[in-house]
Amino acid sequence: MIIETKVEGANVIATVSGDIDGKTAPQVQSELLAALQAGNRLLVDMNGVSYLSSAGLRMLLLLYRQVASKKGKVVLVSVSEEIRDTMSMTGFINFFTLAETREAGLAALA
Amino acid sequence: MGQLRFTFSDTISGYITSFNRTERSFSLRTSEGKEYTLFITPMTYARVTQNLDEGYIDATGRLSELLAEENLVYAYCIFYPKGNDYRIEVKSMIFPGDKAGTYRHEEPDWWIKQVRSIAECYLKWQFNYPETPIDFKNYRTFLHLAGGKKGDYLQETDTISRLVYGFASAYLLTGEDRFLEGAELGTEYLREHVRFYDNDEDLIYWYHGLQVSGDREQKLLTSEFGDDYDSLPMYEQIYALAGPTQTYRITGDPRIMFDIEKTIDLFEKYYKDNEKEGYFSHIDPITLDPRSPTLDKGNNRAKKNWNSVGDHAPAYLINLWLATGEEKYADFLEYTFDTIEEHFKDYDNSPFVQERFFEDWSHDKTWGWQQDNAVVGHNLKISWNLMRMNSLRPKDKYVSFARKIAELMPAAGSDRQRGGWYDVVARTLVPGEEYHRFTWHDRKAWWQQEQAILAYMILNGVLKEDEYLRHAREAAAFYNAHFLDHDDGAVYFNVLANGLPYLMGNERFKGSHSMSGYHSTELCYLSAVYTNLLITKVPMNFYFKPKPRGFKDNILRVSPDILPKGSVKLTAVEIDGKPYDNFNADALYVTLPIADKDLNVKVTITPV
Repeated sequence: MIIETKVEGANVIATVSGDIDGKTAPQVQSELLAALQAGNRLLVDMNGVSYLSSAGLRMLLLLYRQVASKKGKVVLVSVSEEIRDTMSMTGFINFFTLAETREAGLAALA
Repeated sequence: MGQLRFTFSDTISGYITSFNRTERSFSLRTSEGKEYTLFITPMTYARVTQNLDEGYIDATGRLSELLAEENLVYAYCIFYPKGNDYRIEVKSMIFPGDKAGTYRHEEPDWWIKQVRSIAECYLKWQFNYPETPIDFKNYRTFLHLAGGKKGDYLQETDTISRLVYGFASAYLLTGEDRFLEGAELGTEYLREHVRFYDNDEDLIYWYHGLQVSGDREQKLLTSEFGDDYDSLPMYEQIYALAGPTQTYRITGDPRIMFDIEKTIDLFEKYYKDNEKEGYFSHIDPITLDPRSPTLDKGNNRAKKNWNSVGDHAPAYLINLWLATGEEKYADFLEYTFDTIEEHFKDYDNSPFVQERFFEDWSHDKTWGWQQDNAVVGHNLKISWNLMRMNSLRPKDKYVSFARKIAELMPAAGSDRQRGGWYDVVARTLVPGEEYHRFTWHDRKAWWQQEQAILAYMILNGVLKEDEYLRHAREAAAFYNAHFLDHDDGAVYFNVLANGLPYLMGNERFKGSHSMSGYHSTELCYLSAVYTNLLITKVPMNFYFKPKPRGFKDNILRVSPDILPKGSVKLTAVEIDGKPYDNFNADALYVTLPIADKDLNVKVTITPV
């Protein structure tokens, strides 16, 4: 699991690579929450995420709540078709703004 | 008493011992045996307890008749200092029966009328029904005293489920379709909006709730309550099943059974402590681990409590067993009651059970508000449910524990001067104290009265001892005299010690957490059952609406509660208004005809 975060203006950009499951979800949550100290607009690039377990979904939901409580926004970028299906089936997809590219994601955050 | 040299007002309740027509005074004996003489003034007025939707029943002109020996009365009095004592003058009185020695709450349809009225209120308040259709999008957890909604968009899963339970219970007793419609639409809403089906684990858990605004909804995965913040408390998962399970009893909808089974899978896989037994109270929302360090922030790491072990039975598990007759649910029930019996007793130290535990069952006296405090109603709830369980799998230890609680609680947790049951008190007395100290206040909450009423009703119904009937009558009489909101509908949350409603802050609300029509309707449903079928021995009708291919083997189980074996029989069945004879009178089930539509089933249960 590799998580890289950087701050660009008011945006927090996170790149996540690896499977997000019960073992790795707490780490992802912890690092993204730490990064959110710097802002309340979060872009998560999931191009490198091939698997998102239910624990990962729950982590995203908790993250969403944290950002929403700070009146911020979360955009997920490059979400695989399989993960989109999972998010759709579980009703999670409606919470997040999804974008195909990082540029589109940044535009959605603006 | 003579040292308090000022006037004050208070309620005295008790049984009339004499009436002096010349002096216009009467004497009464309180529940604990204290005697008082009270004086009637020209302005004293009296009423007989009225049910919801009934008009005021004046009794001012009938005092000579109602001040009869052994009649129970609630007298609201002014105490005037006089010499070393007080002269007590009555300002108003409430009689629980309209004839001496009777109790209106023992009328066969008392509780049925009450549940109809309460359920009607919630349909009106939440959905403006019947003017507009029932739509749970409009449901709100926060309802003000008169049912109004303002300024909040929260839909808590538990409160929806509790209301669904209320609607389903109202249908079971009345057969009115509007209530079943509410229950089914609510169940559907829960499934569509707050259920999480976990593909990876093949199990279900339930969101804490939703924050809705127009067409937008924000799912709240973890609890928003301070006690449970950022965790998945078992309490919430348990109560998410309350409404759907009660609805399942009526319809046999297989989708509900799927949700129940997958939620129980969650309990067994993540909440159960397979090493030291019992169920953990909280799990981490991401890892589902009860021992996660993240739970430390709520002091909930690796903890067990009354709710996580004991609430299964009354909230959904007994009703699930009633609907299915499945041995695995009887086993689950037995497991929880054996666990309670083994670990909750603490009579060397306190008249109250211990409610909170560490993983190894050592006592946790450090948790949040509870510390070393007792919730009176939890004790009574244990007694009530042990007596139910004893009729399913009898054990002497269940009965002796239930009796022990019933014998200790009046002195430790009830108000034997005014009537009614207290809320939260210190579990132990320190040297020199005679009364358990009130943790927050000496008010009386509606749900605690419910636990007392049901505990003593079932104890009397099963064991036939008069002392239990006396406590049941006193508790039910206090509740019906003081908790019914005749102005705005349904019931009050709290009353002051003297019985007057307390209407401040959160306690003005009628839809809030734990209220929302659950305890008040559960009380109506089971008081009707225990009173009619076990105490006064009057037949009752119950209503079901099974779906095609719903119940397994087309068997509709109609036992209204776990009652002593052989105490009731199924004596008549109607399907769609016509008599039907394919039923088992002793085993209390109907073999349904094959049908391609919902069937309207009315059954008559008769005491033996």
